[in-house]
Amino acid sequence: MAMDENGHPKGECYSQYGIPGGPESSVSSEGDPGTIPPSVGASPGRSSCWQPLAGTSLLDRLRSTGRARPSFHPTLASDLRAFVERGVEGFASSSATDHAPSVTRERLTRALACPLHRMPDRSTDRSFSLSLARGALMDALFRQVVTTGTIGDASADGLEALSLDEFQVPLVAWIGQLSPAERSELRCEIERQSDGLLRRWPALDPAWLPRTRETLRAPLAGGRVDLVARVDLAIGRPSRSEASVALVETTSGERRQSHRHDRHFDALVETLRRGVPPFVVATYFSSSGEIDVDPVTPELLIGAARRCVVGMQAMVASGIGRIRDPGDEPFCAGCAGELSVVTAPTPGSTTVSPVVAARPPVDEGILPFPRERAA
Amino acid sequence: MSAPVGHAEDGPSAPLADSVDSGVRDRVLERVVGGVGRATTDLPPGDRIEVTLATVRRAQSRPETVGRPEPDFMWKPTFARRSLGLAAVRACVEGRFRGPAAAVGPLADDAIDEWRRSGRRTFHWEPWFAGLGPGGRAVVLAESVTWATPLWTAFDWSEVGSRSVVGGADDLWTCPVPGTVRLKGRCEARIGAGGGGGDGGARGDAVRVPGSGRAGHSGGTAALVSLSGGSPGDGWREELGYLALVAVLSHTGRPAPVRVTGLWPDTGDRRTVMVDDELLMAAADRVVATVALTSAARYAAMGTAVSA
Repeated sequence: MAMDENGHPKGECYSQYGIPGGPESSVSSEGDPGTIPPSVGASPGRSSCWQPLAGTSLLDRLRSTGRARPSFHPTLASDLRAFVERGVEGFASSSATDHAPSVTRERLTRALACPLHRMPDRSTDRSFSLSLARGALMDALFRQVVTTGTIGDASADGLEALSLDEFQVPLVAWIGQLSPAERSELRCEIERQSDGLLRRWPALDPAWLPRTRETLRAPLAGGRVDLVARVDLAIGRPSRSEASVALVETTSGERRQSHRHDRHFDALVETLRRGVPPFVVATYFSSSGEIDVDPVTPELLIGAARRCVVGMQAMVASGIGRIRDPGDEPFCAGCAGELSVVTAPTPGSTTVSPVVAARPPVDEGILPFPRERAA
Repeated sequence: MSAPVGHAEDGPSAPLADSVDSGVRDRVLERVVGGVGRATTDLPPGDRIEVTLATVRRAQSRPETVGRPEPDFMWKPTFARRSLGLAAVRACVEGRFRGPAAAVGPLADDAIDEWRRSGRRTFHWEPWFAGLGPGGRAVVLAESVTWATPLWTAFDWSEVGSRSVVGGADDLWTCPVPGTVRLKGRCEARIGAGGGGGDGGARGDAVRVPGSGRAGHSGGTAALVSLSGGSPGDGWREELGYLALVAVLSHTGRPAPVRVTGLWPDTGDRRTVMVDDELLMAAADRVVATVALTSAARYAAMGTAVSA
């Protein structure tokens, strides 16, 4: 990903990185300067004056997106549902399973990913890595901080939390078999990130109804397909009349484009299940303290719906839950470019590699949406 | 989670209309006893069947899993979250806490203290919980908060709280047939018809129903409230009706619930059925089908064991 001089991906506004005073920032200039702790784990190349938001400043960043709380056309949710359902007709009828197949953000991203960028399917691929272990442990510790506000021995607490989850028991066993050096590396990183979490993450008023790992489920096509997401944190009392909920996902790794797509998918599922969208979706990076905040707009939801439809159609084309033959799939522009270098015609030849020529980059914006409904 | 019930014309606080008279009760009883009696003729001697809302649902959605031996019981967070979550909602209704997130920690601590001091278990899971470290306890508390919040936000408790029972004892009814078939109805809340009632355990103003040994409402139960995971299946009406059926069968001297409200937080669904003759009969048929399926599975398992 192309980065600017401060280590931020180009083309994204500063306010997404929690910097007060950015073009869309709503954080007041007097907002709690004393509560901002020193940066922990700042990315190389970032400005030395940059500080992760903390405490009330972080909370303000979530609560005040710099825009008025969005108002939505009453039929937006039903229009979105109709649009997505039309797009999944083939998906629903092609399912040979007894139970509704679930479309999750991971499956959607996998279906749309370039073969060279595709992440393993965690539901079937149970191979482990240090980054996977770090992510699972930090998810548990984030939940602990939100719920109790404390962490004792970060590694011990995280491992105990994972050991209570049947799905994670193999991961706990894998961590137990790490070499001392690897275990030490993991422990150090967990302690560093959890220390940052404890110092920065704000206490949430119980009246805001913070809840962790909330499941969002939107049955489609008469229950033949389920859109499913599970968010690390939801804040706010749901309402039928206004966008009142914030959804936050935490990640312990590097920023990826898919994070933003995932949050938009969360917003779409929340909108479909309640009829009212969240007012904001955010990704919190526990490794750096950065927070990406996306105010939810009709355009965001329409984009998410389009991507969802394209992804589900890709899943239909490949057989639900199966990995497509890479030979039939489009590569992303970057990979296609690299492949074109590898397969470039030899001097004197006019032949263009049919591999590259036949694989245009994925275009997720090709499906029309009734724009007049978006207002 | 949906808007508070005050916005819903079919919610638990809507007007009452008891359509279950003694004739209906007799016909429902006859349907259940007759059907269960026929369905259990092959039940191995001494075998027992307990029917719950979960088994009724499973018999329809995943019939192949009915009758399978249950894994050995071990406490885990998802088992503890309901009892702690209900206590949290009850405490919030009483105005002791501003939300489930504030309630679960102190309630769990109080229960552990009480268990250590007197040996009395408020929730049953105290010894297991006390043996957990901070990471494990946090999971239990977090699960409880997430479970309780949809129930807490589903109703305008300032309107219905004074005549509500949050949690409370399960409705139990044993079918008078050879072999033992017991129906268990578990609701998350019972909203009274007004004019009295309450939670015998938590509010202290309950009316004791003679012979039942459990708290009830002098004015009858207007609505039962059920909270479920996943999404409502095709048979959601009869499944909610099952809770009314067990209430009707187990409390013969009490007015039948008028409606049952189901909450499915995952999908944001909130659905209500009115309790009448038709619903109870349909629920009775689901019970008979569930018992028949379970009995057949047990019989098949016995045959397999004998031949082996």
